[in-house]
Amino acid sequence: MLKLRRREIEVSSTLLWQMVLRDREANSPWQRLRRNLLLLIQLLLLAALVLALARPFWRVPTVASGTLVVLLDGSASMQATDAAGAATRFEAARTAVRQLINSLGTNGSMSIILVGHQPQVLATATGDKAELLDVIRRAQPDQGEGDWAAATALASGAVRAGDAAHSVIVVVSDGGLPANLPPLPAEVRYIPVGSSADNLAIRALAVRATPAGPQLFASVANYGSAGRSVIVSVSINGKLNSAQQLSVPAGGSADMVLSNLPPDPAVYQARLTLPAGDNGNGGRLDALPLDDQAWAVYQPPSAGRVLVISPGNVFLEQVFAALSAQMGFQPFRLKAGQPIPPDPFNLYVFDGPISGTLPSGDLLLINPSSNPLFSVGGVFTSTAAARVAQNDPLTRFVDWRGVHLLQARQVALPPWAHAVVDTDGGPLIFAGEVDGRRVAVITFDLHDSDLPLQVTFPILMSNLLNYLAPANAFSAPDSLQPGQSVSIKLSGGETNLSIQDPAGARTPVPADGNFAGTRRLGVYTLWSNQTVVGNFAVNLFDPFESNIRPAPSIRIGRDEVSASAPAEQGTLEIWPWIAVAAFVLLLVEWWVYHRGMTAPKFRKTTLEA
Amino acid sequence: MIFDEKTLRKLDRLALVASQVRAGQIKGERRSLKRGTSIEFADYRDYTRGDDLRRVDWNVYARLERPYIKLLEEEEDLAVHVLLDASRSMDYGTTSDKDGESGNKFGYAQRVAAALGYVALAAGDRLTLVALRGEAPTAQFGPARGRGQTLRLLKFLQDQPTAGSTNLDAALRRYLLGPRRAGLLFLLSDLFSPAGYRDGLGLLQGRGYEVVVLHILSPDEIDPPLAGDLRLIDAETGAPQDVTLDNPLRELYRRKINAWCRDIEAYCLKRGMHYVAVSTGVDWDEMVLHHFRQRGLIK
Repeated sequence: MLKLRRREIEVSSTLLWQMVLRDREANSPWQRLRRNLLLLIQLLLLAALVLALARPFWRVPTVASGTLVVLLDGSASMQATDAAGAATRFEAARTAVRQLINSLGTNGSMSIILVGHQPQVLATATGDKAELLDVIRRAQPDQGEGDWAAATALASGAVRAGDAAHSVIVVVSDGGLPANLPPLPAEVRYIPVGSSADNLAIRALAVRATPAGPQLFASVANYGSAGRSVIVSVSINGKLNSAQQLSVPAGGSADMVLSNLPPDPAVYQARLTLPAGDNGNGGRLDALPLDDQAWAVYQPPSAGRVLVISPGNVFLEQVFAALSAQMGFQPFRLKAGQPIPPDPFNLYVFDGPISGTLPSGDLLLINPSSNPLFSVGGVFTSTAAARVAQNDPLTRFVDWRGVHLLQARQVALPPWAHAVVDTDGGPLIFAGEVDGRRVAVITFDLHDSDLPLQVTFPILMSNLLNYLAPANAFSAPDSLQPGQSVSIKLSGGETNLSIQDPAGARTPVPADGNFAGTRRLGVYTLWSNQTVVGNFAVNLFDPFESNIRPAPSIRIGRDEVSASAPAEQGTLEIWPWIAVAAFVLLLVEWWVYHRGMTAPKFRKTTLEA
Repeated sequence: MIFDEKTLRKLDRLALVASQVRAGQIKGERRSLKRGTSIEFADYRDYTRGDDLRRVDWNVYARLERPYIKLLEEEEDLAVHVLLDASRSMDYGTTSDKDGESGNKFGYAQRVAAALGYVALAAGDRLTLVALRGEAPTAQFGPARGRGQTLRLLKFLQDQPTAGSTNLDAALRRYLLGPRRAGLLFLLSDLFSPAGYRDGLGLLQGRGYEVVVLHILSPDEIDPPLAGDLRLIDAETGAPQDVTLDNPLRELYRRKINAWCRDIEAYCLKRGMHYVAVSTGVDWDEMVLHHFRQRGLIK
């Protein structure tokens, strides 16, 4: 494959060529070595390759060498921007670990554990520097507290699995370790990062309903060593609502209360900024921006307000009274024909003909008249062979077999609805979403049937109410911290559920389950198809992380470990640079060779006189 | 290949110069006014077509039944011999001359041989032209005399192919074996003769020939327009020679070929032979009309 291919050319005679080659051969090995640039470059290239293969190294000072287990702090405080020569403390920590990797000897190995909310083992006892550098390059910090207990347990396991006698555990952190960590089975060394304690943090934000309306509470803490003034800006659904200046003493906190807030469900955001004219810290508020903003989701407590417009229907009154306590809604009664109050209700129940315009909320229409949503025809009586929709949440536990109807209204099923109970004459119950609201229709008068006397009646009404006026979608505290899970409870037949995180990524979730993907700070949204079902907020609210004062030492077990100086001798391999030099020589050699191979242009030549 | 009128008129005015085989030493007649100035018998020579029948010695004819011309001292002419190397190595060269034809070495040599032959014929010299192939002359024109033989000469030259390898020593020896009269001898060759040529040239000189070596080479041979990893195939033997030709090796080759030519020149000059290095890059008529005249080969 590598055989030299020669171009065949006929010449008049090879007599002179033979003489030339003989002369050259005779001269070359025994005479003085002629200057040959190509040969020199090839010899240099060969020398470089041999040298690179020998893997030469320099001795460099290092904090630790040999068998290492590195605990890399990936908690929220590591995103502080006070590291010298790096964008964040985490970048500085990454650089320190890279130095450990580069000075790893040929017999050394390293395990790397990233300490976040859930510690991750990035590398296990490997001496492959390329692999170690790659995992360090891809490591990212969390936005919450680090689980040091779990991380040190992993480190202990890694030490015991290897050469415990010669292992060293290196903690690269700003010192934010909890107290009472168990002792570790190997020597611990500490590489501190970070330099500043200057940080202001929103440590609480909540919106509560009061008799006078919603009220917002915010608390700002100052972990620095000097009193600071700060502007607290509050936005409601993205629009700025208020901005107040607070003076926060060093090591203390200041609170703020806002009243006269709109009663509607909303997302509140509080943000800390520098007062005008304050250019302290080079125009920067503090070293940790993560806790300079917080969110709160306000959901009015009266989510189950139901207005029943009826001439008087004891069946409805009884079933709503029975279900209100269980389902957490408040029923209101209105005589038919009376004007509908302007207060918004979550559900409007029309029993009988509809007068006036339909309100914009969810609707339950019983024995209705024609309206903008559908037309109602005459009555029909063939209601015996009813077909109940299977696998429909509205018919869950509903037994229609014992239900008898005298008659029902003929309604052509509108395109936005599906039949829940259907007969040949037309649907008896249908439901769907139209104009951004949910509508359920019972096409017969309850008095024309024995349904209200059946056990299945309250079950059916419960199903309809769950569909039309669901309770809160989430079971969660007012605010979550990163990593905490939220419980989802939906029984209204919502489909295609997904939770969208603050970065916009969507994760499918079940209607009844938990969601634990709360790593990011911000507002999360629960979607059902294209409809927002609810929101919840994730905030840092962690004094342990917000107090970013770097610690000069850490306590592991009963040992106090101070910052370790680079007292050991590590090895820094230099073969990559030699390999690069060899490659450059190869390029030069190729260029010199081709320069010498170019044929001269033809010219009329005569023999020399 | 036919010369144009202009070139013929120029050639008409020329005459070959034999400085060693001088007209006068053997007292040759060169169609001059020197006629019948002596009755001293000098020699016999073979009758060739065109000779004056009155000069035939009828007594010798009656005896030998072959015509011989009796030569008187002052009537002996100049024998001109043109030896053309017609081996395969001469069929080389890709330069273009002013006529737009391929500047092949053999084609060039044919033209130069034709020019020399015409000059000899026009001057009344006795021309013999042979093609050398391998170890012997393989085709001969003449001896002939007179301008009337020009067309035959040109046709003879045109019909000559190149073939075989070169062994100049053997070919020159074989040439001397025939009944020949020494005279002015032109050897047109590239001298690529592995068996050598010096012994042959020495023999010629020893027999009284005045030797002119016209060493014909192509510019492609002097400065090869080649580069890279090559396998050179010898045109005569077919033997391959692998060579990686870079600039240093090319320079080495150029020096070698120049040294080789100088070495031949030195040999020739040392033995009193004429040597002219002829490059087919120079137009043939310029070579004949200018360079040969400068060298004193023609006047």
